Amino acid sequence: MTHVPVEELEALAFGELGPGRAAAVAAHVEACADCSRELSWLRAEKALLARRPVPQTSHLWAGVVARLRHPRRRPRWAWRLAVAGAGVAAAAAVLLVALHPAPPVVPAQQAPVARRQPRFTIDPKTLAALDLAERDYGNAAKVLEEEYGRLRPHLDPELARRWDETLTRARAQLGESRAVAADDVNARMRVLDGYAGYLRALRDVVQAEEANP
Amino acid sequence: MRAASLPGEVPGAHDSQSDEEVLSRARAGDAEAFRVIFDREAPGVRRFLGDLLRDDAAADEGTQETFVRAHQRLGTLEQAGKLQGWLFGIARMVFFEQVRRKRRDGPPVDPADEPAQADRGASPEAVLLSAESDRMLDGALRDLGEDRRAALLMRIDHGLGYGEIADAMGWTLQKVKNEIHRARLQLRRSLAGYLEEGAR
Repeated sequence: MTHVPVEELEALAFGELGPGRAAAVAAHVEACADCSRELSWLRAEKALLARRPVPQTSHLWAGVVARLRHPRRRPRWAWRLAVAGAGVAAAAAVLLVALHPAPPVVPAQQAPVARRQPRFTIDPKTLAALDLAERDYGNAAKVLEEEYGRLRPHLDPELARRWDETLTRARAQLGESRAVAADDVNARMRVLDGYAGYLRALRDVVQAEEANP
Repeated sequence: MRAASLPGEVPGAHDSQSDEEVLSRARAGDAEAFRVIFDREAPGVRRFLGDLLRDDAAADEGTQETFVRAHQRLGTLEQAGKLQGWLFGIARMVFFEQVRRKRRDGPPVDPADEPAQADRGASPEAVLLSAESDRMLDGALRDLGEDRRAALLMRIDHGLGYGEIADAMGWTLQKVKNEIHRARLQLRRSLAGYLEEGAR
């Protein structure tokens, strides 16, 4: 029996499916012991978490207001450190890719069996380095985005609009490369390129505004 | 668009307003609208940070910092429907910085990367009915690595979609699915272990 994907069972358990699909999945679950057990686990996990008390947060509002009135400035070296760290991780990943090149792709007509195989396998160390580099780039981007968010209210509205457009374009390019990247070295390298471009755009904004406060 | 001006201290929750309306007003500088966003979203953010940090004072501090940063960056949020995921992305960054400050010896390590079995015969009903279930859940969540725990909680406890989690974590969609799957197996294995412990 073909099982229902766990994401769909989860959507059923969380009430996220439309009525038609929910009925179809529920009918399968009725007849399938494995899916029925999985659904029970999903519901139990949700119920366990949901029955915990909701935290009180109204007392935290005054602290938010106080911090907005008296913001703590992030030191200027903070974003430079984050970007430098990401650059080091990316350089390490590039080096590993160079040291462990992927095997050449065999044309399909020469080896039809190869079509059923993954295109090639990334060396686990390379994959880990690419993951680390991507994560560091992501963290550096967040630090710079926060810095931009801090500077933006002080910008001329037209200038801010142009910077927003530049950053949106860079984000879109990054999103496109990330959308197609899986465990493909070349696609993963393009993601790092996308991050580098996005970071450059952010860095340019922040540097320009810091130079002309 | 510009960031909202400094919010006032007068509470003014208007739960009948849609997220779009409230966000639009907050972006236009309406302080009361930002307070509405805080009232709606802060409990979820605080719970998320509490589960990650496991320290009430740090979670309170992190929640405040999350909303301060959110206020400063409201102009960068394009869709109101993504508000919760966007806030969780900021909260995760705040968490990450707090952890980095506390221990500067590298990224978190997931204690069990390859959970071979989901559970050892325990049933979900037994877990739910156990008088110790809250303590078991607490222990099982603690056993998860931080990133994996964050992704699992965003999905199960806060109802974020896989795409929103990918945005918040900076992961690919496939990685989100893999990590949540592994987190779930690991959680069940831990819960089963606690049940067995209790039975002895």
